[in-house]
Amino acid sequence: MNVGVAHSEVNPNTRVMNSRGIWLTYALGVGVLHIVLLSIPFFSVPVVWTLTNVIHNFGMYVFMHAVKGTPFETPDQGKARLLTHWEQLDYGVQFTSSRKFFTISPIILYFLASFYTKYDTTHFVINTASLLSVLIPKLPQLHGPQ
Amino acid sequence: MGVVFLRARAVTLLGGRQIRLPLISFRTSRLTLYKPRTLIFVKFRVASQSVKMTESSASKLLNGEACQRALRAKNAGKNGFVKNHCVFEHPRKYRRPAEKNQNATSNSSLYKKPFSESFEETPLLVAVLTYMGYGILTIFGYFRDFLRHWNIEKCHIAHEREQQKDFVPLYQDFENFYTRNLYMRIRDNWNRPICSVPGAKVDLVERVTHNYNWTFEHTGKVVKDVINMGSYNYLGFAENTGACAGAAIETTHTYGVGVASTRCEIGNLDIHEELEQLVARFLGVESSMAFGMGFATNSMNIPALTGKVRNLIPFLFLFCFRFLSVEEFWNSACYSLKEKQLFLQRIIYKKKKGCLILSDELNHASLVLGARLSGSTIRVFKHNNMQSLEKLLRDAIAHGQPRTHRPWKKILIVVEGIYSMEGSIVRLPEVVALKKRYKAYLYLDEAHSIGALGPNGRGVVDYFGLDPKDVDIMMGTFTKSFGAAGGYIGGRKELIDYLRCHSHSALYATSMSPPVAQQIISSMKIIMGEDGSTLGADRLRQLSENTTYFRRKLREMGFIIYGNDDSPVVPLMLYMPAKIGAFGREMLKRNIGTVVVGFPATPIIESRARFCVSAAHTREMLDTALEAISEVGDLLQLKYSRRGRPLSSLGWSSEESLLQD
Repeated sequence: MNVGVAHSEVNPNTRVMNSRGIWLTYALGVGVLHIVLLSIPFFSVPVVWTLTNVIHNFGMYVFMHAVKGTPFETPDQGKARLLTHWEQLDYGVQFTSSRKFFTISPIILYFLASFYTKYDTTHFVINTASLLSVLIPKLPQLHGPQ
Repeated sequence: MGVVFLRARAVTLLGGRQIRLPLISFRTSRLTLYKPRTLIFVKFRVASQSVKMTESSASKLLNGEACQRALRAKNAGKNGFVKNHCVFEHPRKYRRPAEKNQNATSNSSLYKKPFSESFEETPLLVAVLTYMGYGILTIFGYFRDFLRHWNIEKCHIAHEREQQKDFVPLYQDFENFYTRNLYMRIRDNWNRPICSVPGAKVDLVERVTHNYNWTFEHTGKVVKDVINMGSYNYLGFAENTGACAGAAIETTHTYGVGVASTRCEIGNLDIHEELEQLVARFLGVESSMAFGMGFATNSMNIPALTGKVRNLIPFLFLFCFRFLSVEEFWNSACYSLKEKQLFLQRIIYKKKKGCLILSDELNHASLVLGARLSGSTIRVFKHNNMQSLEKLLRDAIAHGQPRTHRPWKKILIVVEGIYSMEGSIVRLPEVVALKKRYKAYLYLDEAHSIGALGPNGRGVVDYFGLDPKDVDIMMGTFTKSFGAAGGYIGGRKELIDYLRCHSHSALYATSMSPPVAQQIISSMKIIMGEDGSTLGADRLRQLSENTTYFRRKLREMGFIIYGNDDSPVVPLMLYMPAKIGAFGREMLKRNIGTVVVGFPATPIIESRARFCVSAAHTREMLDTALEAISEVGDLLQLKYSRRGRPLSSLGWSSEESLLQD
């Protein structure tokens, strides 16, 4: 779709996570999710935190590590078709600031969840498994289609 | 409520005197319609503060001599030779700028009149709401795809037949997600068929859709006299009556419409020669060449200028004198397989010419395509950012080609006169100064600025008062201000003679049609004033007045407008995806035709509506349009600007026509 576009950016998906206000939107989104879960009357606080953590990690896994390609056609002859959004960020350059942000945010959520669940064993197992499912695909060693 | 902080900065003015100027910053907190309590930090710069440039050194720069080292005691001796001799200093980073494009005119002595551009930052709340909008649309998109997949909802898009389900799919489903779920919803804002000449007013074919824009039906009626704010009709030459049209009709009687050949074969008419001489005279260059299509001018000529050449001579040499055939060479035992592969790669297949193209971030698709087709290395610098361009130039010259570190054969800087999506004008005096200092070549694409800028309509070179001989390759199109079609390239005689033989367009593409060439000749003569009337000068003045008036009024109303104050392209920011569709439709209801653009053609949060002011617009038409825009702006809450609005409480009012420039 390079014809008709106003820039020479080959894949606009790479720049989305660097745009103004998206980190704030993401944080607010997690906050809204948490508040919605908190307002359900029969969930206790530890359950709510674990649910927040799990749902957030599930959403992050689906959108950043499971869906491949771009939702629009790009003029790069399909180079990005086999790449997940995480791999497309900044054209594959590792350790940029948005990558660091999205690596650290599930970890922070994990700390908060562990604190509020009072380090209960069941919750711990669920939270850790969920965190690992979202951290391992971010490792640079796993970059690129396997 | 505002608290004013006064800070003083030592500023060095022309002539080397130092004064202390206050840097006034306002910290305001305002209850806006959306009721956030954000502190909005708006900073006004009172004067430019960076490089010390004396009059003599500015003129020396323009003449290409080495300029004196900008003395800054802090930087001296820090990073060595390379970094301290920059022509344009990097502005020191203060806080987050209120302007997106922090290119303070650090070299105001290079500019004869003030260069005022503005790209106001997206308000944070608006950005958050925009992302939320896209998020909701994405979720609904997935939901609708799910329904379509399970046949709960009728699927209107083409899909494979039952017999072909096992074949490899032609298209990836996900790649059309955006088209299916976002574009189709608001598709009625684009591709509107028009059925009259696209002048200041245009007639549209009325169409209705019964299945939410998947198919359209023409009702048979015509929407008449829609004010046309979308055509690139800067000087109003898109008309079917008048001197130009009459001359074109006569030419059709003489030459016919088709040429039926390329320039190099038998398609070179005398009208083409006349046109090219006229264009050369208009631009102030030695010689020029005209092509049939504006896009093809860029994409076919940049490869001819910086393309790669396969060097067959060593290949032939070796095969003639040492080996009899490729098989013998390949089977000879004296070289290892790896050496043979490297030999082939280097000598035969990948012999690049070693050219570098430095192109602006927001260059048009034709320039990008031409650069890619040429096969040279492309490096992109930030939009209109001279520090970025200088850094790239210095790195390129210091480090040379990527692996071999050999010097580059050519460095070509590709910029546009007016960028049609941003409305910004290139900082040509600074680019020319850089080009002379670093001995690069300059390719200027004046598609939107020729005829539209400058006191004599000669484009952006005329606007800045520079010498046309400074720009090596002046390219432009006839589509916008001349009411015709096609493109031209102007420059030195040797360059144009080379292009006449080597341009792909001249060799393979049909030449320009005679009535089109005649239209250009007539309109150019009108602009130059050679037809004896003052029509050209009137139109140029009218365009400039209209531009100033339109931009000023929109700013006063509180919209965020991008771009330079003198550019006739006016992008108005919409930001949110739903407002794109809403704006286009509401404007059409009020009988005004506009062009709206969204993601991925623009960055994700910067969708906009783009107005093109024309000399054919009268003051009344502009007033009608402005009233409608203001109404729609109130309806859709588009007045995001956070700068001071003097008359916002009094509402919008029209002004008597004044001669403004």
